[in-house]
Amino acid sequence: MSDTATKTQSETPAVELVTLTIDGRQVSVKKGATVLDACRQEGIAVPTFCWHPKLRSLGACRMCYVEIEKFPKLMVSCATEAMHDMVVLTDSEKCRAGRKATIEFILLDHPLDCPTCDKGGECDLQDNAFEYGLSDDTRFAFRKARNVRDKNSTFDDLTIGPEMVRNQNRCILCYKCVNANQEAFGEHDIGAYQRGHHTEIDAVPGGQVESLYSGNLVEICPVGALTSSDWRYKIRVWNTQTVPSLDPYHADGANLTLWKDVRKVHRATSRMNDDIDDGWISDIARYGYQVATSDRRLKTPMVNKNGVMVEVSWEEALTLIGRRFKEVKESQGAPCLAGVVSPNLDLKTLHCFNKLFRGALGSNNVDYRSDYSNLATDANSTYSYMASRSFSIANLASSDVIFVVGSNVIREHPNLHLKIRRAIFEKLGWLYTANPFVTKSGDCSTDEMIYQPGTDEVFLNGLTLSLIKQGLADKEVDTAKIETLLVPNTIEKCAEICGVSVERINECANRLAAAKSPTLIAGELVSTSSERENIAKAFYNVALLLGIPQNKRGQAAILAKAANSKGAEALGLSPELTEGQTSSLKNIFGALPELQGSNWDAILRGAVGEEIKAMFIMGANPVQIGVDHSHIKKSLESLDFLVVADLLETPTTALADVILPLSSFAEYDGSFTNLEGRTQDFTRGMKLVGSSLPGYEVLNLVAEKMGFNLYADQESLQDEITNLLNSYTAPERKLHLMESHYPSPAQAPENSFPLLVGDALHHYGHLTEMCHSLLAFDSEATLELSADLASRLEITSGDSVRISCGKGEKLILKALVSETLEGDTLLAAHNFAAKPANCLTSREKRVAYVQIEKIEKQ
Amino acid sequence: MAEHKLLLKYTDDPKHKHVDGYVAHGGYTAWRKVLSSMTPDQVITEVKASGLRGRGGAGFPTGLKWSFVPKDSPKPRYLVCNADESEPGTCKDRVLLECDPHSVIEGMAIGAFAIGSHLAFNYIRGEFDFPIAVFEKAVEEAYAAGHLGKNIYGSGYDLDVVTQTGGGAYICGEETALLQSLAGNRGMSQMKPPFPAVEGLYGCPTIVNNVETLAVVPHLINNGGEWYTMFGTEKSKGTKLFSLSGHINRPGNYEVEMGTTLRYLIEELGGGIPDGRKIKAIIPGGASCPFMTPDQLDTPLDYESIAEAGSMLGSGACIVLDERTDIVWTTYKLIKFFKHESCGKCTPCREGTKWLTQLVERILNGEGEESDIDKIDNICHNILGRTICPLGDAAAMPVISAVQRFRQDFVDRIKAKNVLPMEQFPFN
Repeated sequence: MSDTATKTQSETPAVELVTLTIDGRQVSVKKGATVLDACRQEGIAVPTFCWHPKLRSLGACRMCYVEIEKFPKLMVSCATEAMHDMVVLTDSEKCRAGRKATIEFILLDHPLDCPTCDKGGECDLQDNAFEYGLSDDTRFAFRKARNVRDKNSTFDDLTIGPEMVRNQNRCILCYKCVNANQEAFGEHDIGAYQRGHHTEIDAVPGGQVESLYSGNLVEICPVGALTSSDWRYKIRVWNTQTVPSLDPYHADGANLTLWKDVRKVHRATSRMNDDIDDGWISDIARYGYQVATSDRRLKTPMVNKNGVMVEVSWEEALTLIGRRFKEVKESQGAPCLAGVVSPNLDLKTLHCFNKLFRGALGSNNVDYRSDYSNLATDANSTYSYMASRSFSIANLASSDVIFVVGSNVIREHPNLHLKIRRAIFEKLGWLYTANPFVTKSGDCSTDEMIYQPGTDEVFLNGLTLSLIKQGLADKEVDTAKIETLLVPNTIEKCAEICGVSVERINECANRLAAAKSPTLIAGELVSTSSERENIAKAFYNVALLLGIPQNKRGQAAILAKAANSKGAEALGLSPELTEGQTSSLKNIFGALPELQGSNWDAILRGAVGEEIKAMFIMGANPVQIGVDHSHIKKSLESLDFLVVADLLETPTTALADVILPLSSFAEYDGSFTNLEGRTQDFTRGMKLVGSSLPGYEVLNLVAEKMGFNLYADQESLQDEITNLLNSYTAPERKLHLMESHYPSPAQAPENSFPLLVGDALHHYGHLTEMCHSLLAFDSEATLELSADLASRLEITSGDSVRISCGKGEKLILKALVSETLEGDTLLAAHNFAAKPANCLTSREKRVAYVQIEKIEKQ
Repeated sequence: MAEHKLLLKYTDDPKHKHVDGYVAHGGYTAWRKVLSSMTPDQVITEVKASGLRGRGGAGFPTGLKWSFVPKDSPKPRYLVCNADESEPGTCKDRVLLECDPHSVIEGMAIGAFAIGSHLAFNYIRGEFDFPIAVFEKAVEEAYAAGHLGKNIYGSGYDLDVVTQTGGGAYICGEETALLQSLAGNRGMSQMKPPFPAVEGLYGCPTIVNNVETLAVVPHLINNGGEWYTMFGTEKSKGTKLFSLSGHINRPGNYEVEMGTTLRYLIEELGGGIPDGRKIKAIIPGGASCPFMTPDQLDTPLDYESIAEAGSMLGSGACIVLDERTDIVWTTYKLIKFFKHESCGKCTPCREGTKWLTQLVERILNGEGEESDIDKIDNICHNILGRTICPLGDAAAMPVISAVQRFRQDFVDRIKAKNVLPMEQFPFN
């Protein structure tokens, strides 16, 4: 599976090479590469400060000097293109003199506070000064001074962001942070102020450095000028070891390095993987390791004894679970058992979960999609088909047109967002985004189309009609009956309903049709919609007309959100199995239960309807994150027996009869399958917290209580997983246009506004509430609304707002007036257990319409 | 070789700054000629034939620069007039903007046509209140008279001219920093390549020309490129404006043929030194040029001869210093200027200028040591040729020439250990 993902679809044109001589060695590099690239390729060390492999060269620090024959001056290798027959010297006397001069200039005003500097031991300036700056005597005669605020010391720490401390005295003004922030992230919250020697790196006046990528700026700072509050003064870097790990939240699968000592993990940094992350990680991935070290972790199993949760031993908890599950199975039958697992758990756990329910307990009622509603009941649904299409992040680089629909990319896939930006800027490509609200990706898009909430498929059908009417569709697709397939069936009508003009739809269609290698992405707004199948069909139609499912060009997929969603899908963690999956699972489990399993929707209904009696929820928190708080809560309350395994106490564990403490990703070895289907491993960074256990061990212990054994050893377990992943083939289908009807929407109640519930910018799901660094960015649930709406309702940021919906549910949130949001759409975050924003959503209604009113201050 | 007024011919006529006065003196005939009968390539050929070199300081051949704009680029192109005149001692562009703004507009129009640009910017130094007002008025008049705008003279060619004022940074006279500033970014110079002609303003092909360069262009079209080669020397063609200042009887702007001697400029045109004092040093081309000494007075004023004499023609700001001048103090003023104006991007310039300022200041305070002189020289050489833009070189070169040509002044000053009275530190 990982092979198909890494295979790039682009044709590789013959690469033109240039050959030059570096330090007497012949080096061949791609045309357009710099001399520095050539040196690095050959393993020749050239010192740098301002240079970063994924950014355009600034040429500011003047450290990477090389001597090139026929050039009278020393050249900065980072900004000099490698040419044929160049003769380069990287270690000549002249080079060393130039570098020494630069070090001397930099050290003029750099405080030598290395013993107490947090960067000590991993500081580029220390290393380069050691290598190139050695001198018998000093020529400095003046007091070191840059922008010292406190005249009595050189310490000048200023907090410029929730997780960022700046010390301007140490800054060598290489502008790497400013450059990365603007070029790679498209953010402008850090900048250079004043001029010349007085230049200062600072947050924008009145603001803070608080973008989703702010941690990267600390990581790339070559000196101790930018440090992170989280890591400062905790431990010296030489007392740590590193282990490779992964972003445990997002489906992009960004690579991390965990820095640990014998006790625990102290920080996470990036581990550059060109295909996925370019060495940039989101703050959620960076500070998300704190789930492992949080005080809020569950440390022992707990059992509900007469309405009070009591800490018990594993033995007691497991015995109880074994007994109750056996009772239910024997008295009511195996189909009365159901299991729900989080797609953020590793492959071993997911597989064991499946094995426990399908193999040992004999129930097909397993699902990993507790965040969603209105799931298709058929493995051959168009949604499943589009969600399992192969997709490669690396292929974005060769995409000339990128089209995003129903996805707030930055919040769903922080690394994909950066890759899209990079693809657009490097290729001067075209990006079209279509969403019900303004998203960050719109910053670099050619056209940011905003459609009415709940009209996703109407917009897509408009695009389909536009492709056909303009004669841009793939000629082999039968488009004759299109007017009977779509409702509404004219572009004009579609445009009117979705609110995007015909001209803009036509332009987008034209550009997509002209693309050599288009990439079509759909996201969470499609997955979480109650009309997901309908939207998926509309999305599929567009892809089909562009020849994408026919493998003629490009790629199109509905992207999964969780770190291991793809893995869960491939391992068969939902009741709808493909034929291939059924036979592979039969091979491994011996047999599969006969009865078709219930999916998450059916499980919830079954719980109320007495068909489901006992449930095991592992890692998921549907009461807080799922759609429709009251429905889920009511369903779970109806159960006879509920076991919840998680890292912390959640609204879901509050309903449990038994709570089991789960270990975090930092405490065991495992693997995730990212949105491309690429399986990557992460490594244990610290010992298990309290008496918590990794998911697969918990499951095996539960199974043992019922007389089963889920795995003999880790290797055989791994083999089973590998077999399943390798044999997994995405569903196939006949390629023809699909019906897509727009259901006439219920009239929106008066004075109400559409509300979308999702992740806050610096949070993911329910776990990140344990991360104090992330709480420093977003500390509580907010209601985001546009400036226009805020002024109409006379609401300002920080006001308390009462939100109410038709069901009578009410929630009080703090208002946050967003500069980027437009129109009437409201956004609320579901990451905070105290404020379950999902109480405002409903499984019946497609769009939640809510009334809001400001609460007057007492 | 003597004074020849080509650009300054009508600058004393107050009517000339208005469109009617300019047209009465034959203005806009070149622009009409270009639009009615010439192709962009023909314009570039004429300019190339004239041998005109950029008057902003670097002296790069103008026609050649124009021909670097890629012909097949789908992007829009821009012409930018660099009127961010802020080199200490230079005031030649100012007189053109104030007294002959239409020649600049006409030059910009022809340049824009030559590179296929429909939008030209004039980036004027922010402190130039009066020139900005005059130029903006002139643009308004040119639009009203149909010399700018849509479908000019019925040719189908559109051209808009936009004035942008600078924010007071010397560095924004450097073309890449200017373009950054013009685009709304922080004015910091950028690595070349890519050169602005390929990737300039907003990433599009852009040509940046000095005011004086553009003002010459209409003459080349009217009279033909060949005609311009009558003036000047073999490699330095035409006439050049010099801003004469310092210890001189008649300071001001003078236009002379290239190759006229420094002596003629100072003694004949400038009327020599007041009270018959002797010359100590001459800065021939603006604050960034190395000092020349009185024995070099017979050097012809052209790019090559001045370079041979160890200095630069620069922007033509000739500053004369008489025998009373304290060279250490002058050096201090110069280096302090560059320290203040360094954009802070690359290390040698940012840190070096500051260090040099500290060292020279120490000498002025009577605390210097003789080894400081060599240290200053060495630091200058660590800046020279090591920076992104020429500001680093500009800071280093005059200081190098000061400590080399006037070393004794420094030695005397250090030995005497006398402190310069503070009142002699004007604008400190």
